Amino acid sequence: MTSNTPAAELEAITAVEKELDRVINKFSEIRENAAAEINDVASLLEELLQVLARAEQEMTGTINTGTQVDADDHMTDEAEMLVEMEPSTPRLTDSQISIITEALQKTNEKLQRLSSEHRELHGAVSKVGKVIDRNFISDFTATTRTDALQDEENIMLLNKVMAKHYCRQGMDDVAQLLIKESKMPEDMAREVFESERSFAEIFRIWKAIQQHDLSLALEWTSRYSNELIAKNSTLEFKLHRLAFLQIISKGISAQAEAIAYARNNFHKFIDRFEQEIPNLMGCFIYLPTGIENSPYKHLISPEMWTEASYIFLKDACHTLGISKNSALSVVINAGCTALPALLNIKQVMQSRQVLNIWSGRDELPIEIDLDPEYRYHSIFACPILRQQTTEDNPPKKLTCGHVISNDALHKLSNGHILKCPYCPVEQNAEEAVRIYF
Amino acid sequence: MSEIKSMEHATLKVPYEVINKKFRVAQKSVDREVDQIQNYSKEVEKALMHRPVISDVSKLVGNVVQRLQVLKRKSDEAIGDELNASFICKRKLEHLKEIVQRDSNTSEEVWQASIDQWKRVRMDRMVIEHLLRMGYYETAERLANYSDIRHLTNLDIFHTSREVEEDLAAHKTTKCILWCLDNKSKLRKINSNIEFDLRVQEFVELIRKNQRTEAVVHARKYFPAFEKTQIKEICECMALLAYQPDTTIEPYRSLFDINRWNNLVLKFRNENYRLFQLSAQSLLSIAVQAGLSSLKTPHCYSFNCKNLNCPVCQEDFNRIAKTLPYSHCVQSRLICRITGLPLNEHNLPMMLPNGQIFGQLAIPEITKENGTVLCPITNTKFTNPKIEKVFVM
Ligand SMILES: [Zn+2]
Ligand SMILES: [Zn+2]
Repeated sequence: MTSNTPAAELEAITAVEKELDRVINKFSEIRENAAAEINDVASLLEELLQVLARAEQEMTGTINTGTQVDADDHMTDEAEMLVEMEPSTPRLTDSQISIITEALQKTNEKLQRLSSEHRELHGAVSKVGKVIDRNFISDFTATTRTDALQDEENIMLLNKVMAKHYCRQGMDDVAQLLIKESKMPEDMAREVFESERSFAEIFRIWKAIQQHDLSLALEWTSRYSNELIAKNSTLEFKLHRLAFLQIISKGISAQAEAIAYARNNFHKFIDRFEQEIPNLMGCFIYLPTGIENSPYKHLISPEMWTEASYIFLKDACHTLGISKNSALSVVINAGCTALPALLNIKQVMQSRQVLNIWSGRDELPIEIDLDPEYRYHSIFACPILRQQTTEDNPPKKLTCGHVISNDALHKLSNGHILKCPYCPVEQNAEEAVRIYF
Repeated sequence: MSEIKSMEHATLKVPYEVINKKFRVAQKSVDREVDQIQNYSKEVEKALMHRPVISDVSKLVGNVVQRLQVLKRKSDEAIGDELNASFICKRKLEHLKEIVQRDSNTSEEVWQASIDQWKRVRMDRMVIEHLLRMGYYETAERLANYSDIRHLTNLDIFHTSREVEEDLAAHKTTKCILWCLDNKSKLRKINSNIEFDLRVQEFVELIRKNQRTEAVVHARKYFPAFEKTQIKEICECMALLAYQPDTTIEPYRSLFDINRWNNLVLKFRNENYRLFQLSAQSLLSIAVQAGLSSLKTPHCYSFNCKNLNCPVCQEDFNRIAKTLPYSHCVQSRLICRITGLPLNEHNLPMMLPNGQIFGQLAIPEITKENGTVLCPITNTKFTNPKIEKVFVM
């Protein structure tokens, strides 16, 4: 089993890339080759046509003069008889015939070769498919115990969740279309638009930043300047920095504008960014030769926009106390983390001849290592039974303060007497109390 | 990122199948033209056998030259199509590559931003794929344009499927039959009987219109090809000749059922996915279920333990996740329900007399000046309660 390390992922991609590049090269080669070969034979035949045309002209010419000159001679030769009878239809000589035959043969050979050369590409093409199949997983059976999304009602609920997600981003028309195309019941559709709307503005600004438009973002941050400073956010500075760099990238003609921008906007960041601001001012040295050729070139790389939009999304959501991810995106991202692990355990279990990884379970077969921000509930796993507690098997606090599950408590107690497995306190098992996390 | 190998098979396989198809089309087109040229040159050769007239031969050779120009144009076009299909695949590959290779110069924050951005695109890609499978073409189209990721989706590939589906929905088989012919060998390979279903439908429609003689002609023309595999169905079909469309007798009633057209739409969609070797479920529905399971806890289904930020606690997902397995957990992970902070040695778990556990740091928040403590879960008031430390291993 190859684990899904970044190296293994890169290897998989590189393997496909190698085969695909080979196919692309071969296609380009054969495209050029085909054009050249066809031109070759075409011009050969065209030349031949010219030769024939010339021969035809010459022959009609000689025949005409010939008839005049030899008018009185007796013509016994059959061929000459023919010429005389049909003076306007010159015929091919044997050598001309063989030249034409040869040219046609050559044409056919070349075209056959062209066709078989193309056919030979099949191997290279299907190799791409094989490498994809070998390096990427296409079989997802058994990663779910039952397919909950076969159920019509659940399918519609998922449509609703999707519509909510796009509505949350302010993409109301996408949500509307989905409602229409999925024939969503009216009461459900209504709920879609009742959901939280404050994220839509954030999302619109986020998109604008990605399109290198900072005006909306700067307006928003100035509105929430105090809250952002209280949270020690770097957002406002980073946006002004980008705006400054946007001006300075215009070159020497924008020098005065850039100086004015710096003077007007950087003063309030001097304390917090005392290292960064001199760096930015250093850009002025390189203005004549261009920032892109200076030690500061990283400041104007396209990633700076991705970063700014990301920080905006994060800090703005934090400021408003809303989640930067919708329910749908949390679930999908959790699923994308879980799937490689589930596929992995499936393969391990199949190699041990365990056919059904779900047999009788109401739990995933493995623990999924989710981001801490995706942990919404306390989970208490009994340290004795290594099992999550449930309503039927709740956590109990022993008199000594240690917590174990109810089932473990019964297993460990002898009559009413229980010896705590973590401290030597002997106690009455019935004094343990049910607790709630 | 470690999710490429597990989740991106279809991203590459679908455009690969298109390359493969374009290859076959190109081969056919080249071979057809080469054959043509050979026919024309055979005519020249035939003419050469009998002391030919120059002008006749010139004309025939001229024909060959003309066909050569056609071959040149067609082969250039066909190979161009192959190249374009390859570049589409390549672009998708480049998109995947973006996220596995981190430039050593990028800062952590910039890298996080790129991953976040990439995941948003992935989610839109997954949603679009799901929408296409559901037949919500317009929504898929709008979303792709809005998110500017058309080149990363299979929208163009499934454009034909949309046309076929619309044709079927309008009770016409023409486009679907054409699609069957177009993919004949592949359909045979996956043992598809959709062509037979279409022929049956055409037969049924003729009877519905009471064109029984035409129906017989139709049956004679198309059914024998399926004799080996569908003999039982063929017999049932032929029996229709003796029934009226409003019959209540099975299986004839079902054969006359107008709903068969909807089933044909679904069947076509399904066969088309099989043709591209795509899994039966959309990646989105697989990921959603895996995600719900890995988030699902017993708390999500108990009345007073819900956390409104938790997707599984929210009504819609709560219902979808009902039959799905819970997350698995061997290590306790405790979070204070008041502050949201983890319970650990810096924030010891404390128990109120009613068994409710909160973090040490939250106790002042629920304690009033006069010493009463209000449990936010049960709304019970305690006067100077004994709050005990709890030890979780
Ligand atoms: Zn103890
Ligand atoms: Zn929950």
